[in-house]
Amino acid sequence: MSEPGVIHDIGYQRYAGPRLGPGYSARSLYVHSLRGAYGLGRSPWAKVLPIGLLGLASIAALILVIVNSQLPAPVIDYVGIASTFTFAATVFVAVVAPELVSVDLRTKLLQLYLSRPLSRSAYALTKVAALATATFLLFAIPMLVMFIGMAFGTDTGIGGVFDELGGLLLGLLAAVVHAALLAALGLPIASLSGRRVFATGMIIGVFLLTAPISAILRELDPGALGALAGLLDPTSLLNGVDTWLFGSDIALGAIDGYGPVYGAVTLALIALGTACAVWRYRGIDS
Amino acid sequence: MNPTIMRLTARALLGRRRVLLLLPMPIVLIGLTLLGVASEDEYVTAGDWGPLVFGNLGLAVILPLTALIVGSSALGLEIDDGTITHLLTKPLPRGEIILSKLTVAWLVTTAATAVPLAVAALIAGSGALAVGMVVGAAVGSLAYSALFLALSVMSKRPVAVGLVYIVLWENLLVSFVDGARVFSIRQHAGALADAIGDTPLVDSSLTVLTAVLMAAAFATLGTYAATRRLRSFALTGEAN
Repeated sequence: MSEPGVIHDIGYQRYAGPRLGPGYSARSLYVHSLRGAYGLGRSPWAKVLPIGLLGLASIAALILVIVNSQLPAPVIDYVGIASTFTFAATVFVAVVAPELVSVDLRTKLLQLYLSRPLSRSAYALTKVAALATATFLLFAIPMLVMFIGMAFGTDTGIGGVFDELGGLLLGLLAAVVHAALLAALGLPIASLSGRRVFATGMIIGVFLLTAPISAILRELDPGALGALAGLLDPTSLLNGVDTWLFGSDIALGAIDGYGPVYGAVTLALIALGTACAVWRYRGIDS
Repeated sequence: MNPTIMRLTARALLGRRRVLLLLPMPIVLIGLTLLGVASEDEYVTAGDWGPLVFGNLGLAVILPLTALIVGSSALGLEIDDGTITHLLTKPLPRGEIILSKLTVAWLVTTAATAVPLAVAALIAGSGALAVGMVVGAAVGSLAYSALFLALSVMSKRPVAVGLVYIVLWENLLVSFVDGARVFSIRQHAGALADAIGDTPLVDSSLTVLTAVLMAAAFATLGTYAATRRLRSFALTGEAN
């Protein structure tokens, strides 16, 4: 009789090849999440909403090109697209963020991810980055549609095209800020619940519930408090940043001289949201 | 209607911590009403802040959002969990299952929205508006609950579809295309509250008759569609 607890070597093979490491895992997860956000590689029903929102935004951009080309001065420029599409982008984040994290929590897929070299904080950061990239695309593709339309429609030759290119780059910069803030707010909220119903409800609750609050404060106090009320609501906050940094003229409310405050709060919220996501996954059971 | 299904649904909706999700909305509503009443003076009148609190916050956000969470989880949670199998193998008419679920969803939504709205209206000093808000919220809850219940049987992602309806249709499209308000439940609730309350605190441009008829149509069609869909409901493998 053999001793208990002994594993006999019956010819197990060792793996001696190269190991791909945490960087590879994070990259794979990022690509997989980004594809999953738009429903690529999943059932047709999963594609309807994200692709539908993207399609609607692109059609809206196409209509804007036609309107802009008929009028002497453009009604909405590239930064204006970032400003006005934020509302639709909040819906996108509320729908997509639970797809990225809640399903992993509910199906216990997270534990499988964490059993790989991928660390907990890398998982959280990768998911935030994937959500931010997906949201960025929602802004960037309509802007590209607009750029192509405006570049063909320009009547000042190559100079006009370069003018449009400058506007496009500015718009993409605004889109980066918008996408980063929306993702940094949406992802930690979604990671609180394994149920998509409640995750979506909480995200859209934060976005929808704060908007009337800042609108009411703006109405009640035309002074400094009213100018700072936009800080309470992500949509107004981003609108304030657009007004301050990029000189957008589609303002939801006056920000007076508080532009830098809006910028600072946006940066702080992005950092805080990302930190919350990392912190959320730190204590999770594996 | 089946008391057992109703009891189990109520327990699934209210029994856990998730019922706390509904708590912040009434608090914000009543807090802002207090703030609005306190800062009323010769520059800021009730007509300035009232529509923002009761219309843009109460009827446009709190009512649909509560109905969305409650209405789509009344049956949606069972489909998610797979306990719908037990329900479907019982010899119950499908209409009875849907009606029981709808009743619970309607009662919970009405309780969670009409009470805070009525309290806010009383704080704002209008008893008539309180009655109007209760009626408007009750009718709106019924139409919303039926709609979202039907969505939860028809779609795999009822919340996402419901959200698109609330945000893109009711909030975005209605502000551009005036005719779309006939198909917006929020406007029906607002019209009823305005007709009964008759104060500058709410404003609405829909007639009461249109509002009642359209809300009834939403409720009936939602219930009918949900029942019909549940009769031929197929249990599929893809849970997510």
